[in-house]
Amino acid sequence: MSAGAGPRLAEVDAALAGRAALPRDNGALVFEEPWQGRALGMGVVVLERTGASWAEFRRHLVAAIRRRPPEPGESAASAYYAAWLDALEALLTERGLLP
Amino acid sequence: MSTEHGHDHHHPRPDSQVALRARALEALLAEKGLVAADAIDAVVDLYERDVGPQNGAKVVARAWTDPAFRGRLLADGAKAIAELGLGGVEADNLVAVANTPTVHNVVVCTLCSCYPWPVLGLPPTWYKSPPYRARMVAEPRAVLREFGLELPDEVEIRVWDSSAEVRYLVVPMRPAGAEGLAEEALRVLVTRDCMIGTAVPQVGSP
Repeated sequence: MSAGAGPRLAEVDAALAGRAALPRDNGALVFEEPWQGRALGMGVVVLERTGASWAEFRRHLVAAIRRRPPEPGESAASAYYAAWLDALEALLTERGLLP
Repeated sequence: MSTEHGHDHHHPRPDSQVALRARALEALLAEKGLVAADAIDAVVDLYERDVGPQNGAKVVARAWTDPAFRGRLLADGAKAIAELGLGGVEADNLVAVANTPTVHNVVVCTLCSCYPWPVLGLPPTWYKSPPYRARMVAEPRAVLREFGLELPDEVEIRVWDSSAEVRYLVVPMRPAGAEGLAEEALRVLVTRDCMIGTAVPQVGSP
């Protein structure tokens, strides 16, 4: 990627506000494990590279969150980013970029 | 820890299937030339640092240079920072408290670590530490001394306890020697600690 690194976080926040909002604790993004940050980063880069909109991604993400409520003992952030991976795969599949 | 603060202390899945899945997807995307590891690193890095005390510094520098803004800030912090495009849920009830020659303000969250992150970014580790939270209330002068801030005895120290409902921003005094500086130059004098109240702005040491 060239200068900068995708949209500002505030734009992502605005795009995902409500049911798909990024997990936060006292304002800070919550990454309990590195894969969660990688998942977020992958999403941002994929949207930028494919030209898919945040609205389109949000639709997949909301659906994935609905399908995947946190399991007992599972943290909200872990469930959220697992749904995030689902959404990313769904978007890529829809666009014929994944089998 | 109170639930109204929204903390949860569940753990990620012990089994890290999902981590493997994330890695597999990243490898696949890299193979297709859709993402590069350093592009992801750049995003993660940027987002982790996205909010920072520079927002608060902007607010303070404006208050120093614009008395009308200062008045609005002290009357209604949340409304005033919205003029600068700042705010958000955790600054909805921001209260700005101004230092004067006779009053020094300092912020703590005795219950956990409530913090006005839209203006200050992420709280420093010490802010969340039990000793700071307990001692700042019991013996503020001694704690401030440990931070290197020696206040004359006649200066009253006011300790503000943040909560989910009210978060505080300290508006420090414009330091001597900064009279001629423009707003942009003033911003760099306003550090995070100055706005928590554990330091005061110094000219020549940003």
